[in-house]
Amino acid sequence: MIDFQLTDKQRQLKDALEGLGRHVVRPQSLAWDRDHTVSEAFLRQFMGMARAFAGEGSAERFLGTGEEPGAGHGADRGAPRGKPSQANRTAAVGAEALAWCDAALLLAMPGPGLGGPPVRSTGTPEQRQRFFGIFKDMSQELRWGAYGLTEPGAGSDVAAIRTTCVKDGDAWVLNGRKCYITNGARAAWTVIFATVDHRLGRAGHRAFVVEKGTPGFSVGKIEDKMGLRASETAELVLEDCRVPEANLLGGADAHASKEGFMTAMKTFDTTRPLVGAMACGIGRAAYEHARYFVRERYLLSRPIPRYAALAERLARVGRRLEAARALVHHAVYLADLEQQNAKEASMAKAYAGQAAVHACTEAIDLCGAHGTLAGSDQLLEKWFRDIKVFDIFEGTGNIQRVVIAKRIVSGLKAF
Amino acid sequence: MLSFEPTEEQRLMRDSVGDFARATLGAHAREHEAMRGVPDAVRRAAFELGLGTMDLPEDAGGQGLGLVTTVLLEEELGRADAAAAFALAGPGAFGTAVAELARPLERAALLAPFASAEAGHARFGAVGWSELRPNAERAGMSTVAVRDGAGYRLSGHKAFVHNAGLAERVLVVAQVEPERGWDGLGAFVVPTDAPGVTIGARHATVGLDCAWFGELGLDAVSVPAAARLEPEGSFTAALVRFFAKRALVVAARAVGLAGRAYDMARSYCDERVAFGKPIGHFQAVAFELADRHMDVESARWLLWRAAWHWDGAQPERAALGASAAATAHALEVAMRTADACVGLHGGIGFVRDLLAEKLMRDAKQMALACPTALLCDQLAAAVEVGAPLDPAAVLPTPEAQAIFVC
Ligand SMILES: Cc1cc2nc3c(=O)[nH]c(=O)nc-3n(C[C@H](O)[C@H](O)[C@H](O)COP(=O)(O)OP(=O)(O)OC[C@H]3O[C@@H](n4cnc5c(N)ncnc54)[C@H](O)[C@@H]3O)c2cc1C
Ligand SMILES: Cc1cc2nc3c(=O)[nH]c(=O)nc-3n(C[C@H](O)[C@H](O)[C@H](O)COP(=O)(O)OP(=O)(O)OC[C@H]3O[C@@H](n4cnc5c(N)ncnc54)[C@H](O)[C@@H]3O)c2cc1C
Repeated sequence: MIDFQLTDKQRQLKDALEGLGRHVVRPQSLAWDRDHTVSEAFLRQFMGMARAFAGEGSAERFLGTGEEPGAGHGADRGAPRGKPSQANRTAAVGAEALAWCDAALLLAMPGPGLGGPPVRSTGTPEQRQRFFGIFKDMSQELRWGAYGLTEPGAGSDVAAIRTTCVKDGDAWVLNGRKCYITNGARAAWTVIFATVDHRLGRAGHRAFVVEKGTPGFSVGKIEDKMGLRASETAELVLEDCRVPEANLLGGADAHASKEGFMTAMKTFDTTRPLVGAMACGIGRAAYEHARYFVRERYLLSRPIPRYAALAERLARVGRRLEAARALVHHAVYLADLEQQNAKEASMAKAYAGQAAVHACTEAIDLCGAHGTLAGSDQLLEKWFRDIKVFDIFEGTGNIQRVVIAKRIVSGLKAF
Repeated sequence: MLSFEPTEEQRLMRDSVGDFARATLGAHAREHEAMRGVPDAVRRAAFELGLGTMDLPEDAGGQGLGLVTTVLLEEELGRADAAAAFALAGPGAFGTAVAELARPLERAALLAPFASAEAGHARFGAVGWSELRPNAERAGMSTVAVRDGAGYRLSGHKAFVHNAGLAERVLVVAQVEPERGWDGLGAFVVPTDAPGVTIGARHATVGLDCAWFGELGLDAVSVPAAARLEPEGSFTAALVRFFAKRALVVAARAVGLAGRAYDMARSYCDERVAFGKPIGHFQAVAFELADRHMDVESARWLLWRAAWHWDGAQPERAALGASAAATAHALEVAMRTADACVGLHGGIGFVRDLLAEKLMRDAKQMALACPTALLCDQLAAAVEVGAPLDPAAVLPTPEAQAIFVC
């Protein structure tokens, strides 16, 4: 039966998060943006509140703090078949709501972050236990995980990574440089992708969990960015960094074939719709801001000449966001059913990224000069600065289109 | 005769302004952004080059270079750093407004201080037009000017005034005849040190933050009758001309910014290799570049065409239509091109090491720094269909979109 209704739980989650967003998060957003950080005290407090509202299980899902699948990977694999899980859908609802509050806060939340999915999907049971275990109790110390794939010379072209790994006794020696790694400097561990021989392409790739403090593993530059300024983006340097064999993700067997690597890459199918959901959240924040503005400022009892033109523009923004959300929800729906969703995940991410950039750009126009002013009750300009990267990270808009096109054009091999 | 060739003299001027802009503005764009202004020495150098008064008629203390030359030179400034272009001294919008709204003797007196060899480089003009919200009761401005003996008393609040905190005089547009709506406006030159004038805090803006934007309060400010500017012809028509011409200066900076963004993107697409070839060899990238190239070139030609309409004394309505089209196109092109520039750079486009992200923020701000594209389309449409130029529809009133004027 076709049904677009959120479950009661999902609605409560959304309402609770947005309530926190309105009263607690947004009043501080601009200060965090200026200070380039969210205080640990606040992160602690916020995790507590989100858990209290969402219930332990669901909070772990969209915050991604738990070992349990946050998203996809057959959330309830092994569980008796019956009603399909809604874990991915709930995660998307939570991600949108949290990004609506403040996307930088979402990225700064403690937990394994983007490092979670590959450990979950590829890690051995021992590795999963060891690497997720540290997030169970963060009462003394907040902890983060990170995902280190991008290099100065390889972003979209993942197969071109040059960070090397060489087996030496019971360890691997890693050399290279990773850039733009979210939470890279603060992470307790980072999943680092390296190659045994770059001529092998993807088949030569290995993924390691490199722990903070490992000799030869250091933090380079912290990026100063247009937006998402309260989220840390770091460069990581590996110089003769010895990583124990036990930290090779999946163990040696998993990497015997190209398949092993593909598993690590498959995590995109579950993270991309969530990134799309976040983009929808920022876009919706901008849209609602503009809608309120148009209603308050332009809807006068006397007729004003350009009202119709503004209203039409507003409607177009809203329509594109609705379309984006529909694609996001379709992609997570397939994930919840444990069906292939690579194409749909890319569609969700590509469309939402673009629709949300459009929403933020247009919202400023609709609010006129007001929209460009920075103020703690005036976050439109911040959302405009935050949104563009949603069309860049987790695969640029063009890369998503490559993924989509390969699945709809017969015989299309490469671009 | 149709020609896309600047004169030899224009070329020389463009080269020297371009050199100045690159070395003095472009090379220090991030420093100026951080200091939220340009240093005095830079303002002085710009002043000595004659920037700021080039478009004003000679009898108004300007150089009478005309709009074509002005847009050629402004494009160079915009290409180097559009934000700094808005932070240089000079009469700016005040000059254009006075040129359109004042009688010859008045304008000579009002603009002479900007040509002063000692102080001209540190004198700013300002125009107080925008208001925070539309008047709920009637059409027209909420700021009013009421007769008071021989003079007027002005009360109200102006918003987003460029240079309000730096200018010695502000040209304030206020409602003189409330019952006549947008046809009942008047323009007044108000000294910022007059009793009752308050300068609000400077705003922090998403882009062009190098320039001063803020609010201006008027609490029963008394001005003499002579402070009111009354052009020889229709006041509304002069106001529309002012907006259209001033917008071309902003549009020229937008074209400059777009050209810069396009050049950055193009060279990056030549250099950056992914999947074994320069990313420009991917069709999706190449087509984007081709589209942006068409955008930038067409925006420049439309700009020149509009400026030519004014310099070449084409019919006023045609000049207004051409200006509206040029402005709307330039503003949209700047935003699209800067956006593409960030996107084509991938991750590094989002990082402040490069100017790409700044271009995107400045482009967004610029779209609100003069009549917006939507408003320009309204004006162009009125010209095209031969409708009267209803000020409510073709002036950037707070009723449809709050904007500020530069
Ligand atoms: C704030 C931020 C956070 C990030 N966090 C992380 C993280 O946690 N972990 C991590 O590993 N990475 C992270 N990244 C990196 C991000 O994923 C990459 O920047 C992104 O994948 C793009 O790669 P690139 O920057 O090398 O751009 P490039 O790959 O060089 O792309 C440049 C341009 O070329 C286009 N292009 C490339 N190939 C093609 C093609 N075949 N067809 C058409 N067009 C093409 C792209 O669309 C883009 O427009 C982050 C980046 C940012 C900005
Ligand atoms: C009214 C008319 C007048 C014409 N006059 C002339 C003329 O004077 N001289 C002349 O030489 N030709 C002329 N043509 C032909 C025209 O050039 C071709 O129709 C055109 O080049 C498309 O080629 P095609 O029909 O073989 O389609 P295809 O090349 O098979 O293209 C089919 C579709 O794919 C798209 N496409 C093709 N290649 C690419 C690509 N590399 N990347 C992305 N999209 C692509 C096309 O845009 C088109 O939508 C004319 C056509 C028309 C309709």
